[in-house]
Amino acid sequence: MIKVWRVALHEYQRHVLNRRFVLGLLSVPILIIAMLGLIFLVIAMDTNTKPIGYVDHSGLLANPVPPPPVVKPDRPIEMRPFSDEAAARSALDAGQIQAYYVLPKDYRIRGSLNVVHLEALKSSSSLQFYDFLAANLLAGKDPATARRLVTSAKVTVQSADGSRQISGDDWFSILFPMIAGIAFIIAMFTAGGYLMQAVVEEKENRTMEVIITSVSPNQFMAGKILADIAIGLTQILAWAVFIAVMVLISRSSLTFLNGIQISARTVMLMAVLLFPAFVMVAALMATIGATVAEAREGQQMVGLISLPLWIPYMMTGLIIGSPNSPVVIALSLFPLTSPLTMLVRDSMTIIPVWQVVASAGVMILSAIGSVWLAGRAFRLGMLRYGKRLAWRELFARQGASS
Amino acid sequence: MPAVEISQITKSFGALKAVDDVSFIIEKGELFGLLGPNGAGKTTAIRCMLDIFKPDSGSIALLGGPMSESKKDLIGYMPEERGLYQDLPLDRCLTYLGSLKGLSPAEVRRRSAGYLERFDLVAYKTRKVKELSKGMQQKAQIIATILHHPELLIVDEPFGGLDPVNTQMVKDLLREQREQGVTVILCSHQMQLVEELCDRIVLIDHGRVMLYGGLADIRRQFSGNVVKVRTEGTLPDLKGVERIEPMNGSIKLHLDPGTAPQDVLRALVTGNITVDQFEISMPTLDEIFIRVVQGKGDRT
Repeated sequence: MIKVWRVALHEYQRHVLNRRFVLGLLSVPILIIAMLGLIFLVIAMDTNTKPIGYVDHSGLLANPVPPPPVVKPDRPIEMRPFSDEAAARSALDAGQIQAYYVLPKDYRIRGSLNVVHLEALKSSSSLQFYDFLAANLLAGKDPATARRLVTSAKVTVQSADGSRQISGDDWFSILFPMIAGIAFIIAMFTAGGYLMQAVVEEKENRTMEVIITSVSPNQFMAGKILADIAIGLTQILAWAVFIAVMVLISRSSLTFLNGIQISARTVMLMAVLLFPAFVMVAALMATIGATVAEAREGQQMVGLISLPLWIPYMMTGLIIGSPNSPVVIALSLFPLTSPLTMLVRDSMTIIPVWQVVASAGVMILSAIGSVWLAGRAFRLGMLRYGKRLAWRELFARQGASS
Repeated sequence: MPAVEISQITKSFGALKAVDDVSFIIEKGELFGLLGPNGAGKTTAIRCMLDIFKPDSGSIALLGGPMSESKKDLIGYMPEERGLYQDLPLDRCLTYLGSLKGLSPAEVRRRSAGYLERFDLVAYKTRKVKELSKGMQQKAQIIATILHHPELLIVDEPFGGLDPVNTQMVKDLLREQREQGVTVILCSHQMQLVEELCDRIVLIDHGRVMLYGGLADIRRQFSGNVVKVRTEGTLPDLKGVERIEPMNGSIKLHLDPGTAPQDVLRALVTGNITVDQFEISMPTLDEIFIRVVQGKGDRT
């Protein structure tokens, strides 16, 4: 058993201490930072903090109550009164205000008003002015009632059996399983890619013959798969730590991050599906590495595994719209599509227990089968220098070298 | 108990019979030569020995029984196709390969320090293997093969790519291993080195054993039809001599198959020829190899 750990440790160090791995690891945080930067840039570009003027002929704003506080990342805009339209216009021409509203005498009755601006008004500016108007229209009412009228209703959807509920504030919790699934698939393929590359290299540089006179093919393969899982988990852990730090830093600015809740059921579903999926993908990548003659050929074959894994991502609309349709159930049971399908479905519906059990069962059996296949491919293909091992040989009753 | 006992093994790949009814025994502590032309079946025989291939028939006993996982730690194998991790620094590569033979990383470092020193590789131990010359990689591979102090050492073409100084170093190392009781199987095309080092040999061609036994016995078997003679005068016509070949002041007489060296000596004495040297010429292993492989392997 110690040799399995030595192989695993060697493989882990060989890849994790590699510059290519570190760059790959940093690419996701860099991408997230770039995306967040883009969000803040768009918000900043959509915000004009110059005051908004108003000319009130209706008397509604004679003694105005202040506008309600704005929600970050929006910034508050000053509401500046003008006695007449000429004064407001000259302030607009002088660039002191971004626009001015004119409330006619019958505003309270008709609800119509005019706005004058030189440049297109940002939506955040007009929304703040309407909130200001609403606050003054409701002045004198009970503050709680006024607040309830201004803010929209919070609807919580609850499942019939009461086991699950979700509200508009929890939208990130809905997305989380899918994001986690995608992160796992990326990690699976990154680590699996290293594994495949290593096996091909060991064939190409003839290290294989030395290795297999030191360890058994099964020990060698087990060590490599363990290392593959450890590499993938290292990636995910590093990303999770980074995301946690980002959430802590920016939770005051990005309020949607505050309501993240991950249920124990989701975590369990991820464990029973993603762990065997990891083993399955690692073993399949090792199988490819053992059967091909060179790395480039292996890369082409990886598509056969990666494409089905991404099908649920491409069919997200269908899975969200009809999470219990026969097609989606079929995707939930097919080992290569089940991880992402099940995680997306879990956010949208209550998956029947039999489907969870069947999906996990198929996945675990597929993982075991893939490990067997990898071991066989390894034994048959390890000494095929410069020659590809035909897949039919893998399933033949007796191999050339066994 | 022999170190290796191979009995009638056969291994085919499709229609090709790579090893055909091969049997030989290698005693403990001997330096044994496994010879044969390219594609003769040597590597297949070694792979069968090491359980990389399962023979179709026959049996193999290694260090007293069938090959097992635990015996892998007692065997050092250097294949003809060299295999080191090209992107790893030499010391890390040796540590990994040594640890797979059951040594602790600390023990590997301790042992490899001595070998690196001996093979003049200390200055290169932190360099990546791919940055080393072919000869250096060869020496590194030899270190990886003996690091765990194996009981059975199988080295396939260990002298390839080595200069005369390093060739001598490897020769000394193999002798030293034998003196320490290690059984050494040497595969090489360099017959002169095999002749110098090996006690016994087996020669395989087309998957079959063509020659097997002690080197001296084999040479004796192939001797007898050539005698080396040095005389003061000129040689008279001698019966039974097929061909005369002058060489460095003496003459090589190639005899008919039916003529014994004693017949020639008798004829010289009878003819009153002053003989300074009369020697039954032993063929070199090179000559024997060529004769056997080319199908002229008649023994006396």
